[in-house]
Parts: sequence; structure tokens; C-alpha cells
Amino acid sequence: MTSADLANRWDSLIEPGRVHGSLYTDPDIYAAELERIWYRTWVYVGHVSEVPEPNDYVLKSIGPQPVIMSRDKQGQIHLLLNRCSHRANLVCDAQKGNSSAFRCPYHGWTFSNTGKLLGYPFNSGYDGTALKSELGLGRVARVASYQGFVFGSFAQDGPTLEEHLGAATDAFDRLVRLSPTGEVELTAGWLKHKVKANWKMLVENETDGYHPQFVHASIFSVADSGIGELYGDKSVAVCRDLGNGHTENDLRPEFRRLDQPLGWFGTDPAKVPGYVDQLTAVHGDNTREILIDGSPHVMVFPNLFIAEIQLFVIQPLAVDETVQHVTAVQYKGSPDMNRRMLQQTIGSVGPAGFLLADDSEMYERNQRGVHARTPEWLTIKRGLHRERRDENDHVIGDATDEVPQRAIWKHYRSLMEGQ
Amino acid sequence: MAGERVPLGELSSEFASVQLTIDHDGNGPRLRIEDLRTGHVGFLDPLELETLAWLPEGALHKLLDPSLLRWRGDA
Amino acid sequence: MHATSEAAGMRIDTDLLREVEQFIFREARFQDELEYDRWEALWTDDGVYWVPANGDDTDPTKQVSIIFDNRARIATRIKQLHTGKRHSQTPPSRLRRLVSNVELLGEGDDGQVRAGANFVVYESRERGVTLWAGRSEYTLCRTPDGLRMSYKKVALVDNDRALYTLAFLI
Ligand code: FES
Ligand SMILES: [Fe+2]
Repeated sequence: MTSADLANRWDSLIEPGRVHGSLYTDPDIYAAELERIWYRTWVYVGHVSEVPEPNDYVLKSIGPQPVIMSRDKQGQIHLLLNRCSHRANLVCDAQKGNSSAFRCPYHGWTFSNTGKLLGYPFNSGYDGTALKSELGLGRVARVASYQGFVFGSFAQDGPTLEEHLGAATDAFDRLVRLSPTGEVELTAGWLKHKVKANWKMLVENETDGYHPQFVHASIFSVADSGIGELYGDKSVAVCRDLGNGHTENDLRPEFRRLDQPLGWFGTDPAKVPGYVDQLTAVHGDNTREILIDGSPHVMVFPNLFIAEIQLFVIQPLAVDETVQHVTAVQYKGSPDMNRRMLQQTIGSVGPAGFLLADDSEMYERNQRGVHARTPEWLTIKRGLHRERRDENDHVIGDATDEVPQRAIWKHYRSLMEGQ
Repeated sequence: MAGERVPLGELSSEFASVQLTIDHDGNGPRLRIEDLRTGHVGFLDPLELETLAWLPEGALHKLLDPSLLRWRGDA
Repeated sequence: MHATSEAAGMRIDTDLLREVEQFIFREARFQDELEYDRWEALWTDDGVYWVPANGDDTDPTKQVSIIFDNRARIATRIKQLHTGKRHSQTPPSRLRRLVSNVELLGEGDDGQVRAGANFVVYESRERGVTLWAGRSEYTLCRTPDGLRMSYKKVALVDNDRALYTLAFLI
């Protein structure tokens, strides 16, 4: 299939209320997605707290691409491709380390942590030294960060990170506002959960308010959780299209109705007095409201899911294979709250989590189901008749509506059609 | 004090492994660095170490060129 | 605790070893055969069930783990399986595990026994066959009802890699 064929195809595969099953199974479409989405748009890579000191580095990824995120001596963050410019060996092996230079184990070529080729053994084997300036490590063309979250784009030009994030910047602001220091740290390590499913099954599920009462009924019932009701027919929570493929389940209307500080986290201020004091010292009278509103539930297209107290990073590896990386949000300097967020994270997510094991089962069942020949389409019409706009002109719907799925596909189509 | 050695420990990354010791064999203390992958040993005296503390960014990068000393191109 | 079997030539308490082996084999069978309640009954009231991630010796109070259940959370895990709506175990995985290299690692004055064993689990589900291998370490307590687990740590060989869903009892 040529790219011209593909370009003519998107409008016949993606309609406002339905999408074609082949979008999840066709290897050509997956290959095109890598080029047009993963290797072009802004993709979340890592957080500054993962390379706190000068010369720290950590191995990350952009989809299947292996990326080294390094901090140089001046403090600047670099995103380098983990591929030796000599004969393509992996330059770094360790998941993380501290080094101002990387030496390839195959023939000893040595690179600075900014990607510059510093030299190679036995240099008389090369005619002159021109190679040295030409052959640095490959780099992700653009690097930018917002509230400490580092994104990379392989495209030389295009929208800035803030233009790409658009209204989703508010999710990062709300997330860090819950930290008394105004900073979050991703220092709790990552669980890596592998699924036999297309990456878009995960993206669409993250802000799917229709599934929790079904998929998570088992844990909601035994843990006596009120989360199910947040996503019920009576809920006043809304789902929102934030633009550029970013989507949200906004639970604040429900939390405000319930009027319980820290209710969103299933606890109350008396249980984490240290944290509440710290936050009050910063936010004064606004603290109560901040603690009622809670933490965002926002999917930042295409791969970062801010899930209240967790962060998920979606990494496609093949048309039907995806790894979901997840860690606990930690508020810098708030040990009592951090302990609880970590323990709740361990219980809920990852391969054995009370919640995510079941979500993952659904992704895989979806992936098997979508191979059936008819109906060829997936229907995403829920709430189409009751879509409305909020005060910022964003399309919103009821808690269980498929506004987010339609928003994701609309943006997806614009990226895939783009030249 | 002559002959006394104060082990400081081992530093390793995926790229190198060195053993650090304060060596008192000379008339003054030196830092003894042993490359654990080859057994090669080098020394740094306090003035050299102080100088290293003041190195500007990238000053060691010239020395990190494998051809410069260890795997010389003209050897 | 003092080592019972580390030093060469040290005499092994074979009765104790057999008793511990029988306990571990029975635990394995309860897991494979979905005898959730009988498995849960093997725990003491203060049991801790730990499956670390990203290495075998992380600090579970600071780093994520695959499982880090206190006794209440073990009970929740079992209750969730009993609902029949734990989708990642509906239908349940077909399982058989081999447990081997059972070793006594130490005995406390309070009658606690530490033991270790290696295992391979063959899991079959719609996704396909998944092999899980690792080492379990136990602290066992003597109670009027026999040995009970107060601690079980499962160090998966693959725990630093991306893993498929692990919703059965490991
Ligand atoms: S491939 Fe890296 S030095 Fe040859
Ligand atoms: Fe879910």
C-alpha cells in the first residue's frame, strides 16, 4: 500500500460516530501511525525528577524507539537515540546511571551526554577527523517540558509544546498544585504491564467513563468503593474534549456536590495532617477547595495518562502489542501523602492490580474481538445527541458518554491525513 | 603512616569500574585509582584533585577520546 | 535466627524439611486448583505477601511492587476473585506449577522457620501460554493448626521486564 492510498482512506475509516476495525489490526496503518503520530507530534518521554543531578541519565522510549534522557552538566535535558553512530550497537545498557560520556561496548566509540562524538579508538584508521563532527548520536529534534514533564518531537518544526498541550496544560497545573512544594516527583519506579492489544485500545479506555461500573464492579463491590457512582447515570461529572486529542473525565462537579476534602482520594484530612498543614501554609483559605476538587483524570494524546495519583505512559511495540508503564505520583516533600499514594497505586495498577488487570483483560478481549468480520465498525455514538459546550467552548458530555473517544479519533484523523 | 592504605570504595557504571584508595606510600597522600577491568593503576595528588574540582564543563571530554592515550591511533 | 543448612556437613532436620516441603507443595496445589479460601487460610493474621518489581530487593515502602499486600489486602484479593467478575480471571487461568529446590534457610527461637523454593508456573489462557519462573521465600509460623505463612516474597526472574497480566495467585 502506498502512502497516497492511505491518505485517501482515512475519511472512509473514521466517521464521527464510528471507526473501522482495521484501524486496530492493520500493520500498514500501524506503520503509518508511527510516522505520522509517534515520530512527529509531541510525545511524553520522562520527568525531570528522573534525572535530578548533572550527568544523570535514564533509558526511555518514544513508541518502539529507544531514547536516552540525559541531563548535562549545565542542567539541560537531552533526548538522544540509543544507537551508536558507528554500526548501530546500543550505547547504553543500564536503565539509569550517572556519566558525562557514554562509551559503546562494541568498538569503544565515545559520546558526550549531549550526543557529541568525543572520539573512537585507533583514529589513524580514519582519513582525517571530519567523521567526528558528523557522527554524533541521533537526537529527538525538539525537546520541551511543562511543569517538569519532558516531551520530545521528532519533527524539526510544528506546534510548540504549549500549543500542542493547549487546554491540557491545566491538568498539569492542577496536578502540581496538590503538591505543597508545587512539584511532583516520579521517583517510585515503574511497573511495566504488557498487553496483546493495539495502543489505541488503551488510549480510548483511559477516559472511558462508561466501563468502570462493569469492568471494575468486582473491586468496587468488595472494597465498598464509591468510584462506580462517579461514573453512573446519576453522576453530574462530565467528560470533555480538550482539543488536540486530549480528553478528560472531569469529576469535580461530583466532588463539589459531595463536598468532602480528600474524598477523591478516599481519605480525609485527619489521616494526613502533615500534608494538609503543608498545603494550607501555601494555599491558605483555598486549601479546602483544592482538596475537594482533587487531581485530574486527563489523557494527554498520544501517550500520557494523568490518572489522579498515577501516571501511565503508553508505549506501542507492534500493531497488537503495547506496554503500559505506570508509577505513583509523589508530591515533593510530603512523605505521609506519598506513602498512601504509593500503596494505593500498588494495589490498583500494574499486572496484578485490582483495577488494571481487568482493564488489560478488556484491551486483549477487544483486540481478539475486532478480528471478527462483522460488524466491521466500532460504534462511538454514545451521548452524541446530548453533546454541549462548556464556558471555555469545549465539547462536553455526561459522565458515561463517548465524547473523549470521538475527540481522540477526530484528532487522530487530522494527524493521519496531514502531510 | 607510610604503607597505609585507606580504601574508599568501588565506583562502577556500565562504562567503567574503578577502585579508589588513599595511598600513603609516598611522602604525602595520593588518590590511587585502579581500573578494575584491566588492573591498570593511576594516581592523583591533592593539587591535581583540587584542579579537577575546578574543571569547567567538558574539559575532560578531550581526555575521554579513546584515541588520545589508551587506544592511540599512531601506535 | 540461626542457619540450619548453610554450613557444609551441618545436620539437616529432615522432619522439619519434609513438613515445610509438604506445606509449600500444598500451597502450590491450592493456588493451581483455585482453592482460594484454603489458600487464604494458610496465612497468619499479620501476613505480608510481596512480589517486587525491578529487582528482588527494592524497598516496597518507597518503590512500586507488583504485589505488596498486607493481610487485609490479601483478603480483598480473594474476595475479588470470588465475585466471579474479576475479568482477568474469568475464566480462570489453567495452571500447574513445579516447586523445587526447597531449602530451610533459618529457624528462630520463636519457632519461626524461614524457607526458600524455586518454581515454574505454566499458565494457559486465551492469550496463550505464559511461563512464570522465580523464587519464593517464606517465613512460616507454628500454630495450633500447623504451619502458617506470615511472609511470602515471590521474586520473579522477569520482574524488571514488561509482564503480562498476573491475576492468578503466584
Ligand atoms: S557500533 Fe558502537 S563502536 Fe562500533
Ligand atoms: Fe478501567
